[in-house]
Amino acid sequence: MTQTVVKAPAETVTDFFAAYREHDVPAMAELCADNADFHYLPVEIWGKQRVVRGDGKVHGIGRVMWSGLITAFPDLSNEITSLSTASDGTVVAEVVLSGTQAGAWSVIASKGQQYTLPHLFVLHVNGDGLIDSITAYWDNASFYRQLGHAEVD
Amino acid sequence: MSTTAATDGAPAGTPADLADEFVAALQRGDLDGAFRAVSPTAHVIIHPTGQDGGPEVALEFFGEALAAFPDLMLTVTRRTPCGDGRVLVELTFEGTQAADFLGAINQEKHLDIEQAWLLATQDGVITAVTGYWDQNKLYRRLAVKRLDRIAIA
Repeated sequence: MTQTVVKAPAETVTDFFAAYREHDVPAMAELCADNADFHYLPVEIWGKQRVVRGDGKVHGIGRVMWSGLITAFPDLSNEITSLSTASDGTVVAEVVLSGTQAGAWSVIASKGQQYTLPHLFVLHVNGDGLIDSITAYWDNASFYRQLGHAEVD
Repeated sequence: MSTTAATDGAPAGTPADLADEFVAALQRGDLDGAFRAVSPTAHVIIHPTGQDGGPEVALEFFGEALAAFPDLMLTVTRRTPCGDGRVLVELTFEGTQAADFLGAINQEKHLDIEQAWLLATQDGVITAVTGYWDQNKLYRRLAVKRLDRIAIA
């Protein structure tokens, strides 16, 4: 009889950010449940017809955003600066993302600028050891300034 | 038995209670009450404003917020007590601008943004406060057009 060992929530989250550092989006997604929710709260792009928000599913907009960010910032990296776990499987992770822009990202054309930006991630890990919800906070004003983009939109 | 992984209904004196009391006092506009449980040596970092210092940093921020938004509503959307004494409070920060705020001139705009406040606690006091939100979204709501000209509508 084989016994499946379920990883602790903190270990799953640590592996997730390690995969992110390796730019391995499939591995990141494999650590997430099929229907995992995705909420990147600062993402709010105002077009003429509609507003695009960073709300949806990991296996939809999540994968698209991760891949797009890695393409625009080929040296994208992250460093976990703190990790706290709640008894319900929620993991609160302070993570500093950094990278050098080499391609357009959202409304921002590349000027080759480097950025370093603190993020707060709130991830919930289910009983199977899979992430079923990701919420992220960061400051786009700082991000935009570091990339040389002075417009709010 | 650890009391730091409490959930709703936790006994008095837990980190969750400290966080609840801090936020409840802010919701009442009671700065003195909010900061009664904050250590004089607490480390405060407010990433979007670039502030890093002692409790006076948070006191100044919330004081300015209450003055600029007389109808300020802080609505907690999730409160997560972690096993290491930290408590994450996620809330919506909502109000109508009535005075200049963080450099943005008053145009009587409605503000609603998501914020995350990570509170560290030890021995019955709040020992660190870290704030995360998207300042770009805040500026967008307050009709600021450019990050290099915050005070110009």
